[in-house]
Amino acid sequence: MRLPRALPVTSIGLSILLLSFAAPAQKRRPAKARPAVRPPVVSEINTEALIALLKRESDKPLLVNFWATWCDPCREEFPDLVKIDAEYRRQGLDFVTVSLDDPPDIKTRVPKFLQQMKATMPAYLLVASDPEPAITAVDPKWQGDLPATILYTSKGEIAYKHFGRLNPGELRQAIDKLISK
Amino acid sequence: MKKRSTLVLLTAAFLLTAFVIAGSGRSIDNEVPAPPAIGATIEDFTLPDVDGTARTLASLEGKNGTVLLFIAVQCPVSNAYNERMEKLAQDYKAKGINVIGINSNVSEDAAAVKSHAAEHKLSFVILKDPGNKIADRLGAMNTPEAYFLDANNKLLYHGRIDNSRNPEGVTTSDLREAMDLTLSGKPVEKTTAKAFGCTIKRA
Repeated sequence: MRLPRALPVTSIGLSILLLSFAAPAQKRRPAKARPAVRPPVVSEINTEALIALLKRESDKPLLVNFWATWCDPCREEFPDLVKIDAEYRRQGLDFVTVSLDDPPDIKTRVPKFLQQMKATMPAYLLVASDPEPAITAVDPKWQGDLPATILYTSKGEIAYKHFGRLNPGELRQAIDKLISK
Repeated sequence: MKKRSTLVLLTAAFLLTAFVIAGSGRSIDNEVPAPPAIGATIEDFTLPDVDGTARTLASLEGKNGTVLLFIAVQCPVSNAYNERMEKLAQDYKAKGINVIGINSNVSEDAAAVKSHAAEHKLSFVILKDPGNKIADRLGAMNTPEAYFLDANNKLLYHGRIDNSRNPEGVTTSDLREAMDLTLSGKPVEKTTAKAFGCTIKRA
């Protein structure tokens, strides 16, 4: 606020002086804003590997989010998922995302979106000519509607599931129940 | 004071909207009824078309069967199927099977459905499903999602149109196979099939 008021009364010399201060500040800013993470690597996953992932043996609960860049509610809820990952990963939650975009998108729009979101959880893209076995393996009652967020216990049982846009409070409650056990 | 109360009102409105948006979707299995079993008879229903005229299933059904297609205006998956849906409607009209579109998305009004149909040259009748009454009755979850009924409105097939959003990746046309088998007097082999789609935005 002070700067615009001061400007009309400054001499050209003072303007140059101000600019000389402003220049290094501008240089510093991009360095600060530079994302700390590289473009995320998105790995292909087939149906068998997905099933193995869901049934893995671990001492940690697993959260899986199925999404696609073409899905509006998926994109809208993603910042909440990134926050949840940041909050709960150090408390012992494993979190992976599975994109249902087309295979060529694995090197383009999928990592681009994940980078924009500053998402660091392991990211997969399902490669399956027939999506049905994967959908049924995740949950026989799931019709394939996106987004879908499923929380598995460390034993691979479904503790919580939500189809459609996420309710972050509800998901946090479900994670808290598993983490505090 | 006035400014402050306006700010409070705006904040409350924002929070309420955020709550409603965040709360959409379903977490509980029985929140949306399960779809009718294969072989169940679908009762007649009445829904308005895009011009607001009440239409019954009985008045729209085909003499050899009917396809109810849950579709959307904004869903990229549903839109990827526009041409395939129109071709399906054209191909089977002559064979006595009628295709009826149903839009149950609360976020898409009749005017939007009408202009979308005109833009994409969808010639089959599209009904608007206020309060997702019929989507609930049929347990429809996503778009596009198909229900194929025989001449007596008995459910013979429920699920995807085919296996791939991208037309080049189609290897199984499940809905067409069900329709063709029925037309040739044979039982449907694959009665359900799933694919990824957009969640129906319920009221």
